[in-house]
Amino acid sequence: MAEVEQFIKDMKPKISNIIEKKRRLYFNVNNKHLREVADYLFNKLGCRLSTATAMEMYHGLEILYHFSLDKAGQYFCPRIVITDKKHPKVDSITNIIEGAIWIEREMYDLWGIEFVGHPCMEELLTLHHPQGLQRPLRFKEGA
Amino acid sequence: MKANQIPVGPFHPLLEEAEYFELKVDGETVVDIDMEIGWMHRGHEYISEMKTFTQSIYLVERICGICSTSHPIACVHAIEDIDNIEIPLRARYIRTLIGELERIHSHLLWLGLAGHFIGYDTLWMWAWKYREPVLEMFEIISGNRNHYGMMRVGGVGRDVDPEKIPTLYKHLDLIEKKMVMIAKAAKDDPVLRSRLKGVGILTHAAAVAYCAVGPTARASGVPGDIRKDEPTDAYDLVDFNRIVLQNGDVYDKLVVRVLETIESIKIVRQCLDKLKTVPGPVLNNVKEISPGEGIGRYEAPRGEVFHYIRSDGSNRPIRHKVRAPSYVNIPTFTASCKGIPIADALITLASVDPCYCCTERSLKIIDKNHDPQSIDLLKLSREKTEQIRRKIHGN
Repeated sequence: MAEVEQFIKDMKPKISNIIEKKRRLYFNVNNKHLREVADYLFNKLGCRLSTATAMEMYHGLEILYHFSLDKAGQYFCPRIVITDKKHPKVDSITNIIEGAIWIEREMYDLWGIEFVGHPCMEELLTLHHPQGLQRPLRFKEGA
Repeated sequence: MKANQIPVGPFHPLLEEAEYFELKVDGETVVDIDMEIGWMHRGHEYISEMKTFTQSIYLVERICGICSTSHPIACVHAIEDIDNIEIPLRARYIRTLIGELERIHSHLLWLGLAGHFIGYDTLWMWAWKYREPVLEMFEIISGNRNHYGMMRVGGVGRDVDPEKIPTLYKHLDLIEKKMVMIAKAAKDDPVLRSRLKGVGILTHAAAVAYCAVGPTARASGVPGDIRKDEPTDAYDLVDFNRIVLQNGDVYDKLVVRVLETIESIKIVRQCLDKLKTVPGPVLNNVKEISPGEGIGRYEAPRGEVFHYIRSDGSNRPIRHKVRAPSYVNIPTFTASCKGIPIADALITLASVDPCYCCTERSLKIIDKNHDPQSIDLLKLSREKTEQIRRKIHGN
């Protein structure tokens, strides 16, 4: 697909571990290039941010963004791996995509990932829950 | 001047799920809106990691009571995406049939509620009356009026009995006839047009910025429709039109849904035609899911439902992400509610078709210039329609 080839060509030095499947493109990106990649996908290619999936693995926390290029039925999925599990931090993309506000707040809420530059970094789902609880979807200590 | 606040929710008749909106008003005008969710966080993503793939399908069917088959379809698409699993042709038609019947009953449900909110109870009663035959069709096909339990990895769990197809046609003929009548009544009614035209406009730019989906986005000129963009199941084998309008107001959202319902009836008819001749089976035997990750999506009545599943090769997902369309559509209120009168707030909030519930709450506000008083948004909305009706038709 032309858009995929052009994206890989333009972003080649900034992305790695590229996995191409039918209508799906998964790749890794560093935090310092995240905003640039998001800007390219959203503003240049015209993608829509479907959502982002956070998950905890033994090697760290992962965030997988899902950008949908609707006109081609194609997904671009940049993946960020955060190895500092105690104080996970990532740049916010809300200054590029307003639709990311709730998506990032939810990841902060459930995984404790802080998004630097987010306009309202507070819990989305557990705002009125008792304070001081562990982030609900993180591994439990000793598990 | 300091804005007054009007709370809507967390329990309110226009919200199926409990959510909280705080309208900030200056006189009669809404100047800002705050939203809080999280009143019904049920932990589906976490529970799914403790279920097998097959059990997860049943679990996600219970996320929503109205579009209960959209989540299972997106879920099986995600699992099938891991291994590129193909499904039999007959199963593709059955999935499409179930998905489109659900769109018809969901849009009719919304149409009825929208009519009720603005004081058009006749529209409400018509829409809900003719939603019944759709539910009866579900009962004939699956044995259930809701939560059909049809989806499986590799196909569907139950075939459509060919002997029952003539009865399904009979129901569909009735729905089509009545839907054309309702569509004409809703589109041509001068009061309805005056009441909804130009109300709660979501601009094209705002719809793109907030990543809105479904009829909410298509009424604002954003053409995304997963059925056309990434056609799965039988969507590349049936003929239907993508409905896109430009104004972004509540009237266009209504028209998009009405026209989509008619398109859905066309798709259902084509699927039934094919089910008379296309042979089975309806399920491929899938024994194992390989390690990997898959994305599944489906155009639910409210927009794109998104599921992401990661597998480690065992019989259960290690991560299951779910994103329903209301999650990205509700933040658009920030753009569509600013500057509108309070009487229009109710129908604007309802226009994205967030989930509804049956509890109504009377709201108390304190205005420093007046005594504490009770404000009923439903009453305000209906009074505005009545004023327009009197202006157009006289007393």
